[in-house]
Amino acid sequence: MGRPDLNRRQLLGGLGGLLVAGSFGFAALGTGADALAAGAQTRVRYWNLFSGGDGYNMIAMLDSFREENPGIDVKDSTLQWGSPFYTKLAMAAAGNRAPDLGVMHLGRVTGFAPGRLLDPWDVELLAKYGVREADFNPVLWKRAVIDGKLYALPLDIHVQLCFYRKDVLKKAGLLGDDGRIVPVTSTDEWFDVLKEAKKATKKGLQTLGLHANDQNFMWWFFVAFYTQLGGTFFNAADTEVTFDTDKAVQVLQFLRRHVTDGYSTAGAADGEQFINGAPFTWEGNWSVPVFSGAKLDYGATPLPPVFGRQATHAESHSFVLPHQSDRGGATNEGAHRLAAYVVKHARQWAAGGHIPAYTPTLSTAAYKKLSPQNEYVSAMDHQATEPKVWFAGSTGILAQRVGPVVVSASMGSAKPESAARRMKSTLAQLLAMKNPMDGHTAAQGGALA
Amino acid sequence: MTTSAQTVRAPARARTAAAGATVRRKQGFQHGGWFVAPFLALFALFVIWPLLRGLYLSLTDANISGDAAHFIGLDNYREALNDPLMWDSLGHSAYFTLLVVPCITVLAFLLAMLAHHIERAKWLWRLCFFAPFLLPSTVTGNLWQWLFNPGTGMVNHVFGIETPWLTDKSYAMLAVVICTLWWTVGFSFLLYLAALQGIPAHLYEAAKLDGANAWHRMVHITLPMLRNITGLVVALQILASLQVFDQAVVMMDFGPGPEDSTRTFVQYTLEQGFTSYRVGYASAISIIFFVIIAAVALARMWLLRNREEGGR
Amino acid sequence: MTTAAPVHVKPRKAWTPSQIILTLLGAAVSAVFLAPLAWALFTSLKSETEAVEVPPHWLPKVWTGQAWKAIFENGNITNWFVNSLVVSVCVTTVVLFVSALAGYGFARTEFRGKGALMGLVMTGLMVSPAVLGVPLFTTVQQMGMVDTYWGMILPQCAPAAMVYILYKFFQGIPRELEEAAFIDGAGRWRVFFTIVLPLSRPSLAAVGIFTFIASWNNFLWPYMVTNNPDLMTMPNGIATVMNSYGIQWAQLMAGGLMAGLPLIIVFVFFQRQIVAGVAHTGLAGQ
Repeated sequence: MGRPDLNRRQLLGGLGGLLVAGSFGFAALGTGADALAAGAQTRVRYWNLFSGGDGYNMIAMLDSFREENPGIDVKDSTLQWGSPFYTKLAMAAAGNRAPDLGVMHLGRVTGFAPGRLLDPWDVELLAKYGVREADFNPVLWKRAVIDGKLYALPLDIHVQLCFYRKDVLKKAGLLGDDGRIVPVTSTDEWFDVLKEAKKATKKGLQTLGLHANDQNFMWWFFVAFYTQLGGTFFNAADTEVTFDTDKAVQVLQFLRRHVTDGYSTAGAADGEQFINGAPFTWEGNWSVPVFSGAKLDYGATPLPPVFGRQATHAESHSFVLPHQSDRGGATNEGAHRLAAYVVKHARQWAAGGHIPAYTPTLSTAAYKKLSPQNEYVSAMDHQATEPKVWFAGSTGILAQRVGPVVVSASMGSAKPESAARRMKSTLAQLLAMKNPMDGHTAAQGGALA
Repeated sequence: MTTSAQTVRAPARARTAAAGATVRRKQGFQHGGWFVAPFLALFALFVIWPLLRGLYLSLTDANISGDAAHFIGLDNYREALNDPLMWDSLGHSAYFTLLVVPCITVLAFLLAMLAHHIERAKWLWRLCFFAPFLLPSTVTGNLWQWLFNPGTGMVNHVFGIETPWLTDKSYAMLAVVICTLWWTVGFSFLLYLAALQGIPAHLYEAAKLDGANAWHRMVHITLPMLRNITGLVVALQILASLQVFDQAVVMMDFGPGPEDSTRTFVQYTLEQGFTSYRVGYASAISIIFFVIIAAVALARMWLLRNREEGGR
Repeated sequence: MTTAAPVHVKPRKAWTPSQIILTLLGAAVSAVFLAPLAWALFTSLKSETEAVEVPPHWLPKVWTGQAWKAIFENGNITNWFVNSLVVSVCVTTVVLFVSALAGYGFARTEFRGKGALMGLVMTGLMVSPAVLGVPLFTTVQQMGMVDTYWGMILPQCAPAAMVYILYKFFQGIPRELEEAAFIDGAGRWRVFFTIVLPLSRPSLAAVGIFTFIASWNNFLWPYMVTNNPDLMTMPNGIATVMNSYGIQWAQLMAGGLMAGLPLIIVFVFFQRQIVAGVAHTGLAGQ
């Protein structure tokens, strides 16, 4: 180790001193480099969770918004989807450092302490930017109103779909005259379809992408098929568990059979396999742009009504205003303007696969021409949703607790009967649990829509 | 604060030089309160206060919004002791520790022996074995998530297997362990290496003169001389492994792993506090965790003292 | 040594059979250790579609810098890099300052309640954001420091371990040096800054290096206390903020290397000091 001569040492010392001084100065400013660079413009900080095929659709829409509104600097951040997103949003709001605009699943709004972690929308301001109650599906709008105030601006409905490769199904003789998949009305018919499709499938590929090890997908699919059987979770007053373990066993056995009969490989990259030629995959409609982008010849229907009745899992994205104690001014107006812009440009958002909440778009010719969107738009009429309690909603406590139990059945590490019993006891525990935000159980009403 | 805040009095001129010197010498070591004050201020704010606050919160039903909380006695602790998810997550952290600690200790020792005995390019071995430790935990997690990826991952490809590392509950924790070994073995390796270099060469030379072969030298000189450092490595690893969080959540996309199989204790406290907003309950299980960690640390101190007394 | 060669000539070591075997073994093990890093590097130089090709292959068929270009154009990574630097430099500076003072105070001065305070500091060794994260968060929340640099920095600035290490070191400095200075009429602070600190440069370097590494790589605490992506540090941003195109592995690997490479490059140059530093801080725990 040579001893550095004095000059070099002085130089290093000087640089080190500068670095330290600069760091402390920067920390004292406290805004981060990007906000500094934005300067005096109105800066709207917008957090979303669109990291699937819908993500680049959102980016494109933001870019066109920026072009039309040069005075507003939109800083968008896509956070890791799922509970980390809600954690960050809640903590930012609780620490009074919330972004100006956020995206949230409608089912999560009731449990997210409207009034404390969320601020209400200024309906008049929204009307000024061209968004009115009359333009929305009334059921959706009502879910977003709590204590007479609008806490969420619905953006879309998104559903779980059965994607199929037309090229493969044609070979298997499973396409009808209209070029769509033959209708399926029972589990036997469905497994017959899979059997035929398997014969026409390239070697090394599975027949159906089922996400058998994914606790989110498994829970969504469970909700869909359980609803097809007419099953319920709680009574109307949320005082009793009405979960039907027999029906649940039927659903779990059905899900499991895809794996045991060799139609589905647990842990396979389902999306990639579909692109490479697997005939089916069950996915959210947000995968539409991915598959369309890959130039596949494919279609998409709601999950097959194998238990006799149409129902597929549905959730909604909505815009929210995370709580800021000093909300208002140009930034707040910018947030309203941006949200209204995205909601109104529903045709463009629909390209991301979602069914728009803004109804004027649905009846336009441009929307009716969108394929495969036109094939599954009916799904919004038979939605299977989670029960409306504070612990429900996308990746909420309910899904986190019950999802792994469904997976244990689909992966075969638990018998369907014992899994169904565990689901029921978990539901009972959750029903007895108090909402930490207001100290009420679901039956006591808590924050309920 | 109990520290006295006097400044040193200017030395009195009237005193004789000799007496003055003694006084000054004594005074020099007096009133150190100002030296420790800055640290103690930070320490009180960010260590002691949260500890006391955690104790208080654990007796309430506080939520994340900071609203007024109600005192609910020991309810949180009662719930925790009957909470199967808490025990599961504690089990996962313990299982992880049980796998990691012996593996890392043995591996670090072997690597250190190897690097110590190769005579050429010593810096190169040090660099190779230690470099992974310099990566942030999340980068490591992402990297191994990518390596263990079913179709596109290199691990299965290189070994020609089709193990569902990240999606099957019997492999998921193993995957986290492998990632952790690669990432952190370098630290213990350096400790062993430093200890090996600290063994006086004359011991080996004397043993050689006595005709001891390499094996004997290792068993009778190297291993006994490394006893202290092994104790240290094991203790540090146990404490660090029980607190595992980063790489596990990153590899599992911030979820609890297949069928909840990699949810660690730290992850469970954060889920309770920040995802379920139950700050009171999360504080209670944090305090339980603190007691466990403290018990491990005190056990080590007790063992050390016993050994020192026995050794004398 | 049996040779009588002059000391300054390094004797060329012989390739004995055992050395050959050991070196080969070392090379093989090193390859295993470096392979994941190489895989990350090669992945970052592939196109996104080539990165996810099945079966995977090591070297890119088409070498491209698109992933690296993309992360720089996107701007998040450079932003986070600056944040990481700011946080780590501030933490290291504060930690060196307060723990050197405190270590000396505990080792060399007398004041009321010293023993009890020392015991309290030892308790601090068992507290970390992993253990008491939730109460620590609510404390910082009360102070209004969620989503600020100070909220990230200050809680990392009270490391009992570093105080303990320096305390042990200062205890080892011969008292006579200071006593002589006191007799010459020097004040305590002057003695500390002109005699004690220069003597402890290696220990301070060790503490500084270790603190910097730990702070640069710290994930858990910044993850808890920052939600605003503008303020995130590298490890936090990479793990929690995604780009809207789904996981893009080539970009993710490029970003990861951006986060990891600075320390690895510094390590190559300052290897001896860092090794001594890590070993020193670790061994002091004995």
